[in-house]
Amino acid sequence: MKSENNRLKFYSLFLTKPRATGFFTFLLLSIIVGFIGFQQFKIVKDDEHRAMRSKLQVINQNIEQSLKNSYTSTLTLALTINDQGVPENFDSIGKKLVASNQTISAVQLVPNGVIRFTYPAKGNEAAMGLNILKSAYLREEALKSIQSQKMYFAGPINLKQGGVGIVGRLPVFQNDKFWGFSAVIIKLEDLLKSSGAYNIDRSKYYFQFSKVDPTTQKEVFYLPKENEFSKNYSVSIGIPDGDWEIHLTAKHQNYLYSQIVVPAIFGLLLAALFAFLVTMMLKKPAELQLLVEKQAANLIKSEIKFKSIFDQAAVGIVYVDSLSGYFLEINEQYSKLLGYSAQELQKKTFQSVTYPDDLNEDLSNLEKLKQGTIREYAMEKRYITKSGKIIWTNITVSPLWNIDEKPSKHIAIVEDISLKKEAEQLIKKTENHFKSLFEDSPLPLREEDFSKVKSYLKELNLMNLKKETVEHYLLSNPKETNKLHSLIKLVNVNKACLKLYKVNSKEELLKVKSELFNRSSYEGFTKQLIAITQNHEKVVLDTIIKNSKEELRFINLRWNVIRGYETSLDRIIVSNEDITERKTAEKIIIDSQTRTESLINTIDGIVWECDIENFSFSFISKKVENILGYTDEEWLASPTFWADHIYHEDQESVINYCVLKTSQNLNHDFEYRMIAKNGSVIWLRDIVTIVFKNDKPSGLRGIMIDITKNKEAEKDLKNSFNLVTEQNKRLLNFSYIVSHNLRSHTSNISSIMSLIETSESEEEKNEMLLLLKSVSNSLNETMLHLNEVINIRNNIGLVSESLNLKNYLEATQNVLSEQIIAKQVTIMTNVPSDVMVNYNPAYLESILHNIISNSIRYSHPDREPLIGIKWLIEDEMNVLQISDNGIGIDLVKNADKIFGMYKTFSNNPESKGIGLFITKNQIDAMNGNITVESKLNIGTIFKIYIR
Amino acid sequence: MTKKKIWVIDDDAIYQIIVTKIIQKTNLFSVTSSFYDGKDGIEALIHAIENKEPLPDIILLDINMPVMDGWEFMEEMEKLKPLINQHIAVYISSSSIAIEDKNKSKTYASILGYLSKPITKNDIELIASND
Repeated sequence: MKSENNRLKFYSLFLTKPRATGFFTFLLLSIIVGFIGFQQFKIVKDDEHRAMRSKLQVINQNIEQSLKNSYTSTLTLALTINDQGVPENFDSIGKKLVASNQTISAVQLVPNGVIRFTYPAKGNEAAMGLNILKSAYLREEALKSIQSQKMYFAGPINLKQGGVGIVGRLPVFQNDKFWGFSAVIIKLEDLLKSSGAYNIDRSKYYFQFSKVDPTTQKEVFYLPKENEFSKNYSVSIGIPDGDWEIHLTAKHQNYLYSQIVVPAIFGLLLAALFAFLVTMMLKKPAELQLLVEKQAANLIKSEIKFKSIFDQAAVGIVYVDSLSGYFLEINEQYSKLLGYSAQELQKKTFQSVTYPDDLNEDLSNLEKLKQGTIREYAMEKRYITKSGKIIWTNITVSPLWNIDEKPSKHIAIVEDISLKKEAEQLIKKTENHFKSLFEDSPLPLREEDFSKVKSYLKELNLMNLKKETVEHYLLSNPKETNKLHSLIKLVNVNKACLKLYKVNSKEELLKVKSELFNRSSYEGFTKQLIAITQNHEKVVLDTIIKNSKEELRFINLRWNVIRGYETSLDRIIVSNEDITERKTAEKIIIDSQTRTESLINTIDGIVWECDIENFSFSFISKKVENILGYTDEEWLASPTFWADHIYHEDQESVINYCVLKTSQNLNHDFEYRMIAKNGSVIWLRDIVTIVFKNDKPSGLRGIMIDITKNKEAEKDLKNSFNLVTEQNKRLLNFSYIVSHNLRSHTSNISSIMSLIETSESEEEKNEMLLLLKSVSNSLNETMLHLNEVINIRNNIGLVSESLNLKNYLEATQNVLSEQIIAKQVTIMTNVPSDVMVNYNPAYLESILHNIISNSIRYSHPDREPLIGIKWLIEDEMNVLQISDNGIGIDLVKNADKIFGMYKTFSNNPESKGIGLFITKNQIDAMNGNITVESKLNIGTIFKIYIR
Repeated sequence: MTKKKIWVIDDDAIYQIIVTKIIQKTNLFSVTSSFYDGKDGIEALIHAIENKEPLPDIILLDINMPVMDGWEFMEEMEKLKPLINQHIAVYISSSSIAIEDKNKSKTYASILGYLSKPITKNDIELIASND
């Protein structure tokens, strides 16, 4: 039993491992084939050996035959030797011997080792007389032959007569005494030829003839070595007569094998084939076994898959008994859907959990299924869950029986669509909501279908073209545009829209629609069409429509594609807001704005508005261009334009003033200068009002008035006022002078006259008359002075000339030289010699004389008088400065008197108080000026300003 | 009745001669002194105070004078007042008819009157009697 078992195991091992079995089979068969092949090879080889040996044997026999013949010949030749030891008839016998024996090429008689007789002599002359016994390489063999008294074949040797030959020598004894040799010469070639060695198949075998060299003991080969065959098989036979050996060597070892190898290969192939067949045969059941296993695995897998699908599917799956409606198998999702556990459901029917309203439809469907009219059905139905909630599902029912079978059970796949249903309901609600929004919207709304319009635009190839191109086309093809308009399909209108068009219904509106399509709305429509070609989904424009009462209304049209209809343009919402009232109001505002603006622009002043914080202007009236040359755009372009263009002298104060006033919330009114565009300076009066918004200062507003002319007039006025004041002052001074000076004289005259009248003596009267004369002279002098002053003031005969100042200074010094010397006055003049002044010569002379003589006259008694005269430039005016170190004048007391008439400041009898008065008048007449600086007891500096 | 002393301070030489003549004619004054400017006058005044010489009863003072005019003289005299233990009547005698001068004269308490030139005998008699 056990062994049987083992055997079975063994078999099954073979059966289950067909490849191993195949391999073993192959191995076994190969060994058999190898063995047979080897045996075959051995037989062939033996045959070959035998053949070779027999062939060699034949050659050997032939050689031996030739040698025997040679022996015979030598013997015959030896018989020719007579008793005297001389051969008889050698040539004739020799001839016969050579002729009868093909292998023998020559015969010789060698008495005492010396070659004496040779046949044929021809060709063998070279060997004649040779003493063999004395020839080194022949001697040993010869002696051996003599010793053994047997014929011996020497060689092969290189014959003296040419070629390779064998010499067979037979020692000849006469009366037991060595006589010499009887020899034959056999050419090796002839020997081998006669032996048939050349007849062997040279393609198969290689023949060799060798001998062990008696002297060197080395084997010498006499035939050319064709190849090294030492490894190849060979047979050898020794020929004792010459110590030779002949060999036969197989040339091609392979040919032997080829005889073996081909069948061996064939055998192996056969073995392999057999092994393969065995393998295949054994494999088949193994493959089948594998297939079965695989299928089984697949089956398990798909079962698991199905199981897991069933269990873990996102949809509910149930098997139901079609007849009773009981649940047979319930997946997790299904029980989750209904809230019952699987065990609970297995006790229920589907009818009990179906919402009653949906049950009938379900049952009737199932009935159809049972009857076979349908193969499956799907429906939306509601279930009642354990908690009493109603859920919406989509159920697909498939029967689990074949067409011809009786209804057994069915499978239902249940998908929860509660969310979808909710969404649907929501959509429905939204739709209703939207509908009511649409219908009750106070905004006139239309729902329109533009799909045909779009397709017609496509037909016209206007889609995606440039705006301008489309516009041009539409304007030049009004027919097409009208057609496009007629292609709009009015889907719905709301109440407000009907009201706008003053129609009662959509139908009525449709009737009048084309009539209401006027020029203005044509323009709006063109814009819509252009927007469509540009794939815009929104258009907003203002247009004008005509209602059924032929009234024009301004409309704000908004054209919107409803989401989802962007490509087809099936649903468009067009809103038409009636903006007629707004437009009218706008127009009124615009008109009033225009009016205000034109009013502002007519004001002869720059009206402006600016920010309260940084004074950046937000408005400036056009008048700015007239007054300052800047355009309003230029002005408003820079936030600091105003501040930047204030005249630099006024800039800081103006801005500080504005900041101050603004911070105090005070309106202000001030004047400053600005630089106009042409660079001129413009005086402006700026009247600024602070603008309050909600009681907070929010901005500044004001008006700038050009007051340049006023300012100029003011300046002129000021100048002329100053002039008049000055003149008045002078006039007053003059009249004062006149009255004072003349009065003192007249009062004196009057007094003298009364004294004369009351004089008691003639003497006294004469005294008074003398006094009167003196007064008269004084009066005359005064009159002359006054006349002079009047002349100066009237500029009578005043001629100005270009005068060299230096020359005049020198002339003055000359005139005063007496006093200068007397008082030892030093005058330092620092005036360039080329200074020329445009002056009246008499005046210049008088001025210089007066001032220098004054300086000399009022020199300080304690020090040497020093007068400095300098020419300098002060405030762009030429100044002649004359300074001295004299007594000086107390200017604190006398400032207003110094240039007055008859003002003297000392008891000097020469003081008349007229010099500086006249000098001042002269300088004034030349439009110059004179100033004085002086300190008592230090000195005085006069500065004469010359124009 | 003792005769009074009178000083005339005026730069007009002719006037000095004339006024001296008139004063003499009135025969009301014992002494008539002439000074040609305010400085002369004030120096003489100081000199008289220092030497305890008799001081003038009346001074006829001109306004426009070189070196020290009438107003300056008045200023100086005011300073000397504590040293003067008698009444000195000052009368302005000027050819100026300017109202300012007249008004200015009223600001000085020592100035008793403003006489416009020409000075008459009557004027002198009036001031001499006006105590």
